[in-house]
Amino acid sequence: MNLAKFLGRRLLLLVPLLLIVAFATFSLVRFGGQDPSAMLAGPTATEAEIARVRSAYSMDQPLAVQFATWLGRAVQGDLGKSWLSNRPVLTELIDRAPSTLELLLTGVALGALVGVPAGIYSAFRRGKAADYVARTVALFGFSIPTYFLALAMLMIFFYALDWAPPGMGRLNLMLDPPPRITGSYFLDALLAGKGEVARSAFSQLVLPVLCVAIAAAAPVVSQVRAIMLDVLAADHISYARAQGLRQALIARIALRGAATPVVTFIGAELASLVGTTSLIEYVFAWGGVGQLGLEAIIKGDFAVVQGYVLMLALFSVAVFLVVDLLVLALEPRAMLR
Amino acid sequence: MKFRRRSLLATASFLPLTSGLAQSQAAKTLLLAAASTPEGFDGDALRPGTQEVVVQVYEGLTRYARMTRDGRTYLDSGKIEGNLAESWSMSADGKTWTFKLRQGVKSPFGNELTSADVEWGWNKSFFQKRTGNFIASVANVTGVKAVSKYEVAFTLSAPSSILLSCLTLYTPSIYDSTEMKKHATPDDPWALKWMEGNTAGFGAYHLESLRPSEQAVFVANPNYFRGPPAIQRVVYRAVPSGASRVSLLRAGQVQWIDRPTVQQVIEMQKDRRVKVEEHEGRTMSSVRMNTAMKPFDDVRVRRAFNYAIDKSKLKQSVLFGTGDTALSIVPPIVNGYDPSSFPYSYDPAKAKALLAEAGYANGLSLELNFSDIFWWEEQMAIQIADQLKAVGVTAKPQRITGSDMRARTAPGKQELLFFTFEDGPIVLDPVYTMALLAHSKGVSNRARYANPAMDALIDRARVSTDMTARVNVVKQAQKMWAEDAPWIMTVYPKTFEAMATGVSGWVPHPDDHERWSDLKLG
Repeated sequence: MNLAKFLGRRLLLLVPLLLIVAFATFSLVRFGGQDPSAMLAGPTATEAEIARVRSAYSMDQPLAVQFATWLGRAVQGDLGKSWLSNRPVLTELIDRAPSTLELLLTGVALGALVGVPAGIYSAFRRGKAADYVARTVALFGFSIPTYFLALAMLMIFFYALDWAPPGMGRLNLMLDPPPRITGSYFLDALLAGKGEVARSAFSQLVLPVLCVAIAAAAPVVSQVRAIMLDVLAADHISYARAQGLRQALIARIALRGAATPVVTFIGAELASLVGTTSLIEYVFAWGGVGQLGLEAIIKGDFAVVQGYVLMLALFSVAVFLVVDLLVLALEPRAMLR
Repeated sequence: MKFRRRSLLATASFLPLTSGLAQSQAAKTLLLAAASTPEGFDGDALRPGTQEVVVQVYEGLTRYARMTRDGRTYLDSGKIEGNLAESWSMSADGKTWTFKLRQGVKSPFGNELTSADVEWGWNKSFFQKRTGNFIASVANVTGVKAVSKYEVAFTLSAPSSILLSCLTLYTPSIYDSTEMKKHATPDDPWALKWMEGNTAGFGAYHLESLRPSEQAVFVANPNYFRGPPAIQRVVYRAVPSGASRVSLLRAGQVQWIDRPTVQQVIEMQKDRRVKVEEHEGRTMSSVRMNTAMKPFDDVRVRRAFNYAIDKSKLKQSVLFGTGDTALSIVPPIVNGYDPSSFPYSYDPAKAKALLAEAGYANGLSLELNFSDIFWWEEQMAIQIADQLKAVGVTAKPQRITGSDMRARTAPGKQELLFFTFEDGPIVLDPVYTMALLAHSKGVSNRARYANPAMDALIDRARVSTDMTARVNVVKQAQKMWAEDAPWIMTVYPKTFEAMATGVSGWVPHPDDHERWSDLKLG
């Protein structure tokens, strides 16, 4: 199978997957028993006026018809409007996606940069003090609730020590954001040559990124350790040891064997940490997609919840596609499977 | 002991404040942390955060007079004075009011206020049939017409005792219609789309910039008719976490925070870096019983529930001892408040007897809905359920979302059986209060309370200009309300505002939103 076929197959699978996700979300939101028609109609609306609103939003139609109407608009890029802000959902998502990606990608990258070597080292030092330390730290990262972690980081590094700026979004209150190029204030400020804005954006990034990194690193340490232990117990490693190969060379052979499952796991982590990131966004007033989704769920903003979940599904699919391509690069035999 | 050190990270974020220009700008800038940025700027279509800011932008024809008590300024709910209007007259039959506008009032766009602006704003509210339309209907206003450049006539269906109080409100808003019309289109003649991210009023502030969910910046109207406010710029920052908002205030990063809970207030009262001010509340924490649904269609059950509740215990456990025990539908701060006819003392035995009489000797089970709109709701629901257990009632607290709560208790729906809510008048008038909460057409009558005798009393008071007769009618209405017992009345929570110690001048307003033009930074 060539690469084009491989990608084509993956993209074809995307269609039913997104349809299932979209329909499941659509149904769940409606089965929740919420009906925002009275809210949309206003405080003095009569029953007839509420009925007109229901009709205008197709809320009086059977679920399948409502879904078909929504889907027809969604494929044209119209995900509806938020009833809270009245802004198009797609605009809301596109405007906020870069700030979430900035946080998530940086956090997971940092978590992986720390977690992967720590997991490998822990596996090589199995049963030794370093192994216990790494596992204990990972256990701490696993156990601490994200929301609490974010609040604790603020309390310690901003409130008590004053080493970090307050959790008030992505930029100091007195600064204007740079012209939008990538959507990341830090990168855009650098590109625009606005040093002060870049410094502020960077300082605002540190604590929330650390929170994401801690949440990401803990499972990475455990999983990488477990993967490495499996690889180290494999016959070819025992054979290499029996041949008297140097430890560094054995490590290289083991790492090559572990690369594929580690990359796959980090990809899965990236996709699953979007939910965790929304809590961190909430505490740090980050204003990203996660915060938008969380608030929409709390406030019952139907259209935004649907758009948010659909975006998460698309993001997960994109991540796994990239992971598949990386795996192919690392292990070309995978294309045969 | 708290150490204040400044790291490289933190320094980077505060660099802009070090220049002289920035320092002088900062001295006139109020940094405010709220749960979110306003979701809209149309007073007729209230969305989260809208009311908090439209009151800064749009002012009424009239306003409450100010009075000083113990060195603090308060509004005098019994005295109305001119604001955008400087004088007015009423026809002999009380059905036509003519207002003479103050001359020289200008919007930030430089356009002068004229009667056409008043007419345009009221017509917008009539068209939208939302908040402003309700205000117009309780005040009996059926039409507004420009008579001359500075004179505008209000036509009423009947005389109104509350028109002048209603005109203190931000809605129906008085817009700079010259500016608004520039943004109107044939499909959108009221420029509602433009209003989603812009303002055009004659008040003290206007919106300069908006980054949704991040920050809104308001600047003073350079042409404000009362002179330039002390605070020239307000940075309205979205900080969704309440705990974070409190931390920011305590650390001096913001000077004002929105909506602290009582628990947070009590913590902050111990902190010398924060100033907490309070005022008697006008909205009541209540538990509503749908009088059109079983078992609450039987007044004996509603009365039994009132006897079953120990209000002082509720006040202590839910509101940490703060607030006023609710003894009337009319808040204690409103003239005409009469607690004398409230009959319900804590009496579980009497509650049980009433329930038995109504056919529930073996108890009953129902769901008690609460949401997250008001911070006290969950605790209140749990406590109410706990107290009702003692009289054989099993109430199961069940959380629903705030939007669901609002939607299912809206006037056109009113389908919830038993739920927590907080409502109160934004016009400090007993008749307005009753019209809002107790009339069958009241927009905050959320549980189908309908008593034709009550409607008749309220309608009579609305058209009465005889103050003594009006007071008597209001007294009768409060008694009738207590006898009908459609709510479990609990507590009027206090209004608390938390601010930096350097902030002064806060004046409590009936809508519970500070006016930035009242404030000064020390």
